[in-house]
Amino acid sequence: MSTSTLSRPRPENLRKPTSRTRSNLSGWGFATPFLVFFLVFLVWPILYGFYMSLTGKSLTGANDNLIGFANYAEALADADMWRSLGNTLYFTVISTVPLVLVALVMAALLNIGLPAQWLWRLSYFAPYLLASTVVSLFFTWMYNPQLGLINEFLTGLGLPRVAWLNDPNVAMWAIVIATLWWTVGFNFLLYLAAMQNIPAQHYEAASLDGAGAWRQFFSITLPQLTPTTVMIVLLQILASLKIFDQVYQMTAGGPGGSTRPVVQYIFETGFTGYRLGYSAAISYIFFGLIVVISVMQFVITRRRSA
Amino acid sequence: MKQFESLTGKQLSRRQLMTGSALLGGGLLAAGLTGCGGAAQAAAVQDIGFWHLLSGGDGIKMQAMINAANQANPGFKVHPTVLAWGPPYYTKLAMASAGGRPPEVAIMHASRVPGYAPGGLIEPWDLDLLAENGVTASDFAPRIWEKSQYNGKVFSIALDSHPFVMFYNTDIAGKAGVLAANGQLQEVSSPDEFKAMALEMQKVTKAHGLSFGYLGSGSQMWRLFYTLYKQHGVDMELTPGQPMKVEREAAIESLEFMASLFDDTIAAQAGDISTGIAEFARGGSGMLFSGVWELPTMKNAGIPVDAATIPTLYGTPASYADSHSFVLPRQLKLNEDKRRDVYKFVTDVLKGSLSWAEAGHIPGYQPVVQSQAYRELTPQIHYANAADIIAYDPESWFSGSGSDWQTYFAENVQNVLLGRDKAAAGWDAFEQRTNTILSRPNPV
Repeated sequence: MSTSTLSRPRPENLRKPTSRTRSNLSGWGFATPFLVFFLVFLVWPILYGFYMSLTGKSLTGANDNLIGFANYAEALADADMWRSLGNTLYFTVISTVPLVLVALVMAALLNIGLPAQWLWRLSYFAPYLLASTVVSLFFTWMYNPQLGLINEFLTGLGLPRVAWLNDPNVAMWAIVIATLWWTVGFNFLLYLAAMQNIPAQHYEAASLDGAGAWRQFFSITLPQLTPTTVMIVLLQILASLKIFDQVYQMTAGGPGGSTRPVVQYIFETGFTGYRLGYSAAISYIFFGLIVVISVMQFVITRRRSA
Repeated sequence: MKQFESLTGKQLSRRQLMTGSALLGGGLLAAGLTGCGGAAQAAAVQDIGFWHLLSGGDGIKMQAMINAANQANPGFKVHPTVLAWGPPYYTKLAMASAGGRPPEVAIMHASRVPGYAPGGLIEPWDLDLLAENGVTASDFAPRIWEKSQYNGKVFSIALDSHPFVMFYNTDIAGKAGVLAANGQLQEVSSPDEFKAMALEMQKVTKAHGLSFGYLGSGSQMWRLFYTLYKQHGVDMELTPGQPMKVEREAAIESLEFMASLFDDTIAAQAGDISTGIAEFARGGSGMLFSGVWELPTMKNAGIPVDAATIPTLYGTPASYADSHSFVLPRQLKLNEDKRRDVYKFVTDVLKGSLSWAEAGHIPGYQPVVQSQAYRELTPQIHYANAADIIAYDPESWFSGSGSDWQTYFAENVQNVLLGRDKAAAGWDAFEQRTNTILSRPNPV
């Protein structure tokens, strides 16, 4: 974006100041509807949320007074906050890796020239269009320990039944599998588009030099995909950190709080537990964490591209 | 587009069309606004908003009672809104009250009132107005009336009490030889006697003696636990700023007994609520611990079913229960006429709550319970004595049916019931969790 503005010729400087002011005005005019929404629904809630985190505000209107950073101190000593934050990070790690790798494999398979490309593209991407509620319902049924499709299949193979959503050791993985099926199509599409943009002469030259298919994949395809991979990982981490819907609908944070993400904890403290001020403080701690991760990514990607 | 063309007789420019639609939209809006105002001014029929969380078999009964009340009272029309049971319902009710747009009347579990009354989310009932409609304190059993009060004011009017009871299959019990002479289940008075009886039934079913599904449901685990705990003749108190007052030994003994039931012989080791209900309904076990609200399911299943309160195993008869109660959410601007209609509606429903008893619940309104028609309802009459021994959740802003506190109970205790954790460890963790909540600022 910045490069395009710099390289553009600058006829504006030649115009009279009045016409420039006028075009500025109409620019603001066009931006106003967006700005109004931006201020009312984003900037103001962010500022007000921060103010709220410094108060003891509750849903019932009690303890409205300022209490400084007491909420933050309490949150940092709250074992359940740390546990739910840990769950969110755990989910982010174990979901981002397959969501990137599986998408890459799927795109690579399709790119080697399977017949009926549109059908594959459609079937890989279609789940992404479903609402989270629909996906959760599908998988809740399939994971049902007694009647579910998956356990039916397992017992057919002579394997033991798995209490998918009721076993604290398995539940998070079950949610990752559901999420993978649901959202991998988006990453797949980005990868596929990037692969189809790699110039064919690279492969031609490589095969003339005697490089095999694997060699070409690792030495041409993967390096050429680097910017796309960086972007996908970045988007995926941010998307995974927001995890709430599937968990709330499939396990409600259970069993034993083993899948409760921090967003759900914020929701519970604020809305079912009434403590709006305290839950605002937790969300600011979470916000801080996201900022740190984003800055880290920014630094890493800048170093790589420099 | 076509309409506009025919109206003006010529092609419209884009600008004209937009102006036209804006006018039309504004006109509709204005019409809508005056429409609302007009209806209220005419006061022909008052619209009463009513929220509840009854979506099962009892939801159908509730709808019938609402229809009956609407028909008997041409002056108002009650519009029910059914929301999902548990935290979603209570979250929305609190938000609506806090935001000043609540329904005129709502159902609330009596155990949740301490979380709503102190913050002013609900308003007390006017006893004089209730009496005008023919309902007074003497129409309720003492324990239930006591529960309807908070700080000396009546905040909830109990439609029912719904205890946690024991259903049993008379056919299986008969074959196992555990029926008494009167055709009802023989009395047992200790944990060992109970287990022996369950084992007899297991020999008949070849599957399990008892069904009790609990996986993933803190409410369900809590119902049985609190029944057994209160049977020890002990109390539990939750006072903000203090550690919880509890008899630790009794709690651990109750948990250990529960865990000992899930040995895959007496009862299935792991199963959720619906698995337990399904097992009992198809004759896979002789007994089921469940809320009374499952009665219609059992009757429809076509099994010979009877019911009783949960046997007294630790000396003191006790039965976990809660009450579906009517509450008045705080109104931003109180409409006195509507308030009067709400009193009429609620008292009408109370008086017609015999059909509510058919759904399994014990009506709160005593004239119904004492009626001949109720006495003829079986098996309801076999557990009607529960109203005298019911135990509500310990009072606090965070306890009660469908509260997060019950979820915390499951988080710490489920592994005990699954045999993966010691009862003492599970209980201590839950107690610690509770003490953490108690040590925090009270938001109501």
